[in-house]
Amino acid sequence: MKPLPRLLKASLDPGSRDVLVVEDDHDLSTLMEMIVVEAGYEVRRATNGAEGLARVAERMPGLILLDMRMPVMNGWEFARSFRSRYGRAAPIVVITAAENARGRAEEISAESFLEKPFELEDVIVTVARFLGPPRAHKTSAQI
Amino acid sequence: MGRSPRITLTPVRIVLVYAVVGASWVLLSDRVLDSLALDPAVAEKWQSVKGAVFILVTSALLLLLILRFRRERQFLSNAVRTVLDGMADAVLVVDAERRIEDANMAAARLFSASSREELLGSLENLVERTQLALPEPLLSQPAATHECSMRRLDGREIVVQVTTSTVHRPDGKSRGFVVVLRDQSETSHFEEAREEFIATAAHEFRTPLAVVKAYAQLMRKRSQGDAAALDVIARQVDRLTRILQQLLEISRFRLSSSELKREPFDLGELLSEVCAALRDRTEGRRILVSPVRAPVQGDKSRIGQVLLRLLENALRFEPNGGQVEATLVVEGDRAIVSVRDHGPGIPPDRQPYVFEPSFATFPAKLPSSGVFGIGLDMSREIVARHGGQLWFESAAGRGSTFAFSLPFSPEATA
Repeated sequence: MKPLPRLLKASLDPGSRDVLVVEDDHDLSTLMEMIVVEAGYEVRRATNGAEGLARVAERMPGLILLDMRMPVMNGWEFARSFRSRYGRAAPIVVITAAENARGRAEEISAESFLEKPFELEDVIVTVARFLGPPRAHKTSAQI
Repeated sequence: MGRSPRITLTPVRIVLVYAVVGASWVLLSDRVLDSLALDPAVAEKWQSVKGAVFILVTSALLLLLILRFRRERQFLSNAVRTVLDGMADAVLVVDAERRIEDANMAAARLFSASSREELLGSLENLVERTQLALPEPLLSQPAATHECSMRRLDGREIVVQVTTSTVHRPDGKSRGFVVVLRDQSETSHFEEAREEFIATAAHEFRTPLAVVKAYAQLMRKRSQGDAAALDVIARQVDRLTRILQQLLEISRFRLSSSELKREPFDLGELLSEVCAALRDRTEGRRILVSPVRAPVQGDKSRIGQVLLRLLENALRFEPNGGQVEATLVVEGDRAIVSVRDHGPGIPPDRQPYVFEPSFATFPAKLPSSGVFGIGLDMSREIVARHGGQLWFESAAGRGSTFAFSLPFSPEATA
């Protein structure tokens, strides 16, 4: 594995507008995709940390929305592997049901967090904070 | 087939039976001899025989009565032994000289002794070996219970509930005492497991709640479905979330029962902070505060929670958005916070239940804010663990005042 070229590629690609959603709950993952796509961003999905790393290896996302409790590889393990391979190539936003969401985010030095259950607007605001304002909206037929 | 009731033998009854049989024998045998009108020499011989027979018969009777009495005593003592050994609680019988006279099987198990006999002997010796906290005043009281930790003979630390009861002689003096010990370790393990289960369940609820809420909001945004109905769904999800938050808080508090911070802070300052935070949230609802400086020691965030609970309750029960009064005074060696509302008050028949976990006054009449139990039980526990007290005064129709005290600590600088 050669992390450096990928890291360079990601950092040299300021227009990277895709969001990687790493979440094991299918309904929640689908929902996140809908919200984020509707807001004008691209979305890729992974159901656990290992799949997430595979998606990252394919292409560095602009932002990672990360659930913590997942089968196969949980959020902590994903974050550790991601940081050791790619450093801070993409910001991580923790989505957690824990009472202390901020604490969870700090545990893995995540850039931000979303507390379950979240407001729809909060998701879009958070994504926009890291990826910039959404491009022209897609037609509703695409959503 | 019912059996006729057995007559219990007591020492008095035994003597009575002996006296009746003896007297009857003397009277009857003399009459019989007199009626026979025997020759005086023959009669004298018969008198000797009569005396010997009397002694034989009454001795046999006495022996029978004593044997039966002893059997009954034995049965009772066996029954007591069986009861003691069948008990789950450990029992030590201690005499006036503080020597352990008896111990049951549960005591041997609790202390991890090889036999009951190992426990017998000096109480001080056992107390020293097990570091069992058996405070002196406890022993002088007629009956007292407390909880303490002790080390079993195998070295394991356990938590026990100790009850001591004095055994009195008929003249009222102490004959010794009985110590009953109950192992609380398993109970506390069970409680811990239960609290952990609640915490996990509350946590697991959040993902499905997040999905439901976000879908409702998404549909609302896309103008799909009835907007009002979708708002209700989102609002109810928020309510459920608040309830879960409280559940989590309670179980976390119980789980971390030994973790109370001890830091100096000013209670007056904290009261002002909490009131200010509440004013923002309650859109101008009035809280009158008259704080003074009151340095105390303790867990600031926990005491803040107590203040918040009391103020929120008062606001909830204050009709027509009226004002709530919060005062802080220093009385002797303690600081007292009172929170007063002019609401419906707590009817006398509901007052004994105020500190039960599920207490809510007038649950049917008042709009629920999603707060269950109003957390007074937990507030009282927090205050008690700071060495203070929490109490209330209330009369139906005349509002309620909830107050708590904390030990004043002037040397603490906030």
